[in-house]
Amino acid sequence: MSPTTLFGLCGAALVGIGLYGLLTDSRLLRKIIAFNLVGSGVFLLFGVIARRGAAAELFGDPVPQALVITGIVVAFSATALAVALLLRLHEAGGGATFDTPADEAGVKRPDP
Amino acid sequence: MTLLAETVAPAAGGGWLVAAIIFPVVALLLAVAGGARFAARVGVLALPAGLAIAVAIADGVAKHGVLGYYVGGWAPPLGIALRADVLSAAMLVTTAIVASGAGLYALHDFGPPREPGGGRQTLGFWVSLLGAWAALNLAFVGRDLFNLYVALELLTFAAVPLVCLDGRAPTLQAALRYLLYALVGSVLYLLGAVLLYGAFGTLDVELLATVVRPEPAAWAAAALMTAGLLAKTALFPLHLWLPPAHAGAPPAASAVLSALVVKGSFFIVLRLWFDALPGLATAMAMQFIGLLGAGAILYGSALALRQSRLKLLVAYSTVAQIGYLFLVFPLAFDASAGRLVAGTALAGGLLQAVSHAFAKAAMFMSAGLVAVALGHDRIEGFGGLARARPVSLLAFALAGVSLVGLPPSGGFAAKWLLLSAAVESGQWWWAVVIVLGGLLTGAYLILVLMRALQEPAAPTASLRPVAAWREAVPLALALLAVLLGLAGLAPFQPGAGTGAVAAAEAFQ
Amino acid sequence: MPRLLALAPLPALAASLIAAGAPRLSIGGTPLVLLFGLDAPGALLLGVAALLWVAAGAYAAEYLRDGAHAGRFAACWLLAAAGCLGLFVAADLVSLYAMLAMMTIGAGGLVIHDGTPRAWRAAATYVGLALLAESVLLVGLVMLAAEMPGPGLAIDDAVATLAASPHRDTILALLVAGFGVKAGLVPLHVWMPLAHSAAPVPASSVLSGAVVKAGIIGLIRFLPTGEAMPAAGHLLAVAGFVTAFYGVAVGLTQRHPKAVLAYSSVSQMGVVVAVLGLGLAAGDGGAGIAAAFYAAHHVLVKGALFLAVGVAAAGAQGRRGWVLAPALLLCLGLGGLPFTGGAVAKFAVKDAFGTGVTAALSAASAAGTTMLMLHFLRRLAGAEVKDAARAPTGLLLPWLAMAAAALLLPWFLYVPAGLGTVGGATGLEATWNAFWPVALGAAFAFALRGRADHLPKVPEGDIAAALEPAAGLTLRLGAALEGLDADLRRWTVASVGLVLVAVAIGWTLWRG
Repeated sequence: MSPTTLFGLCGAALVGIGLYGLLTDSRLLRKIIAFNLVGSGVFLLFGVIARRGAAAELFGDPVPQALVITGIVVAFSATALAVALLLRLHEAGGGATFDTPADEAGVKRPDP
Repeated sequence: MTLLAETVAPAAGGGWLVAAIIFPVVALLLAVAGGARFAARVGVLALPAGLAIAVAIADGVAKHGVLGYYVGGWAPPLGIALRADVLSAAMLVTTAIVASGAGLYALHDFGPPREPGGGRQTLGFWVSLLGAWAALNLAFVGRDLFNLYVALELLTFAAVPLVCLDGRAPTLQAALRYLLYALVGSVLYLLGAVLLYGAFGTLDVELLATVVRPEPAAWAAAALMTAGLLAKTALFPLHLWLPPAHAGAPPAASAVLSALVVKGSFFIVLRLWFDALPGLATAMAMQFIGLLGAGAILYGSALALRQSRLKLLVAYSTVAQIGYLFLVFPLAFDASAGRLVAGTALAGGLLQAVSHAFAKAAMFMSAGLVAVALGHDRIEGFGGLARARPVSLLAFALAGVSLVGLPPSGGFAAKWLLLSAAVESGQWWWAVVIVLGGLLTGAYLILVLMRALQEPAAPTASLRPVAAWREAVPLALALLAVLLGLAGLAPFQPGAGTGAVAAAEAFQ
Repeated sequence: MPRLLALAPLPALAASLIAAGAPRLSIGGTPLVLLFGLDAPGALLLGVAALLWVAAGAYAAEYLRDGAHAGRFAACWLLAAAGCLGLFVAADLVSLYAMLAMMTIGAGGLVIHDGTPRAWRAAATYVGLALLAESVLLVGLVMLAAEMPGPGLAIDDAVATLAASPHRDTILALLVAGFGVKAGLVPLHVWMPLAHSAAPVPASSVLSGAVVKAGIIGLIRFLPTGEAMPAAGHLLAVAGFVTAFYGVAVGLTQRHPKAVLAYSSVSQMGVVVAVLGLGLAAGDGGAGIAAAFYAAHHVLVKGALFLAVGVAAAGAQGRRGWVLAPALLLCLGLGGLPFTGGAVAKFAVKDAFGTGVTAALSAASAAGTTMLMLHFLRRLAGAEVKDAARAPTGLLLPWLAMAAAALLLPWFLYVPAGLGTVGGATGLEATWNAFWPVALGAAFAFALRGRADHLPKVPEGDIAAALEPAAGLTLRLGAALEGLDADLRRWTVASVGLVLVAVAIGWTLWRG
């Protein structure tokens, strides 16, 4: 098994595990972590692709590396925003899952 | 890197495209630096200037057909291209108009804070509005699928705070649900982009169109990216986040979310299928996307009929109206050529996106004013509203004229074009859906208007006053939606007019 | 505001007098050009409809003097008037559709004016069916537009296209269904008795007189009568005759004078449709103007008689003769009594009915109409009077003016409409042919007198009332949908849905 294949399989496994967590775990913090797992898997796949480009041409393909760095920044911001919202929700007395009744109440009347 | 030779050289006037993206970002930074006391002023000044930039781009597109720009002078595949065609220009101008309207309307709720230390919501609103605007502009002119991914993420980050400005638990939960679902969508999109890059070595829209072959990697990539974008657009049955998020936000924010934000990801679906992967489309896949659209139209309208609160009704109406946008895909599919073709159906979809933006913004704003006046938005308590708030109700009704699709509204022109496309391509079943959707839309809007025309159950002495200028904003937007058909049908009539030709050229 | 309502239709009246056959007005640039023009049937109907809108507007000013919601009434009135009158001058597909929509919205507002549950139910049925009709029409119009060679959407080009279209039958079916609802063809008539009897008197007058002609002018404009289409034409004629007799039969069971009048309108529109159907079957290009002339007479008579109901109810103390005597003439005129306007109208469509079965059916329908109208007159004479007051002159004058117009105007319009000379209508044979069905109808009415009240009472809107249980089913379906939505919006369901959508798109790309 070549290193490229190994890394590719690892990336795929991370995506799979992360998606499973995102779908099934009701705890919001775990969902956020699961999202990061999926992100890591995708970035690893991208690294593999950069590596494969390196095998075909002279040097490593620089474009995926630039994209991965950007992607990590975006994922980091997303995580920060999600965690901040979760904290605010906790402070406001909301539950830490989506299955609490606060959600189905949905819309309260707009404050005048 | 032989692909370089085939790229299109940037056209004149591309600097405006950069300005359209940078300008809201600069305003956003100024607002953050100036704090809450300064934010509203920055926003109010920035909005008309941004509208002028959008108009300048539209003018350039009308003259030259397309505007293009290579960021940093680097051509794709290494660099990033920006490009504005007819679709971009229409959406840029629509966004600028609706954002300006929302900003004006929001001056009452999110004006400069009166007491020092207040105004957290004010700052949040203006920063989010400017951020969403910048992200939308980027989504409309970006020509690189990764660049579009960044635009999508920025759009989500700007939109989520708009949902939960008031910081109450239900809206926070709606915002978090929206964020997490959108993140799942964007990670699927990113995965698809990675696959495309791995298989074809570029993410530039123009270059991809020339090299994409129908093969498993491309199918998987297209499926993942499309599904991710559908989740962000809240197409049925992926609409779980939309009703609570759009109905719980303050009216100005709901207007931006429902009118513009969902169109951002829809626009990227258009770009993906019409520009990047037109040859990958298959009849069955396009019928499937159309099926989801049809489901959205019937299901969303039927649920709107069941809502007892006006803002939820309007939110479900958005779920339904999004469905019309996705009928473009089956209707634009040319079975004999085996690819998507820009024509009547695409023009109809674009017009639907634009007229729905004006109409829905007007609807959310007038719904907000009704809620302020009555102190609630329960439809059964609307008796006497027609006499108490005639202007708000008129704006709501006019916006409804466009949603139902009565002439001369933009909604009518859009429906006419979509129906024409259905008739021309012999896909009568979509025509049935369009007509049924119009009937259901008429039904839920008439229910609201009938309530408002009835006598009040109790005296309406407790009405709170609403400033006349606030009522003027939704009225102006609704009038735009109603009159759009007069201007709107003309450029898109197939076979005539310069607009259709330019649109067709822009896709080649 | 309501005081000025009578002035609004004056430009339309002027246009019908001076603008017939004038060059078309086009608004907007290529390719979307809104066209407005006035052909002979359009001018005829525009003129009489404008006259009715003027008279009913003057009537409404008095009628609404102390009532609430005068502003709302005026707004709806003007919207309906603009759409109704605009329809007669619309010469392209888009403006035709726009006028229809405007008229429907305005008319819906007029029906709910009284705010009673009955009015709401009537308005809901009316607007619902009208929107359905307009949707069907829209599909037909789009199909037609798709086959038109040029970018323009003029109605006469569309009709030329229709005759040669491969989808001719489908398009015709859609258009007839759409306009059929507007004209009240059985079984699409259910909204008419409900709406016309629930609306305030001046509104019922214009609804039953002018607004229903939307369907007629639509059929006149779109049916390709220049070319013989026996199958389609005979089918349409059968539908027309069925409507004509159904209207009479159900109308006889009605107690309220306005409901009787509404069913009479259903019946009369059936006659007009039968004329058009026979014209289509024979390829008779003159059927359009003949039908328009018959319909124009109906505009005047039915508009006038609804006003009479209001005058009688307002208290005709000492002025009873001013209501009942002209009403008797108009009623018999609708049956075709010689020397009334109705006789001219019947004369205009005589050729269309020809001889044999169709002529016999026409005579039978005239007898039936006479019977129904005499039933109406009995109900009118027996109607409760609000108080012992005299009917205000503001109500009496518009009624008398319309009654005079209905009796006399057809005589003066016959020649300008291009139908030939009117002299034949007063000939001995024509007089006898017009007289005997009326006499027969009157004899039947005399025989039936008093017994009509013992007929089984069919509820207003007959079929619609029978269909009401379906509403419960719809409600249950809605509740089930709401339950489904709660499930679909659960996180796990929606995320699995997202994955499934991705898989489905991938699969369809691979297989398709």
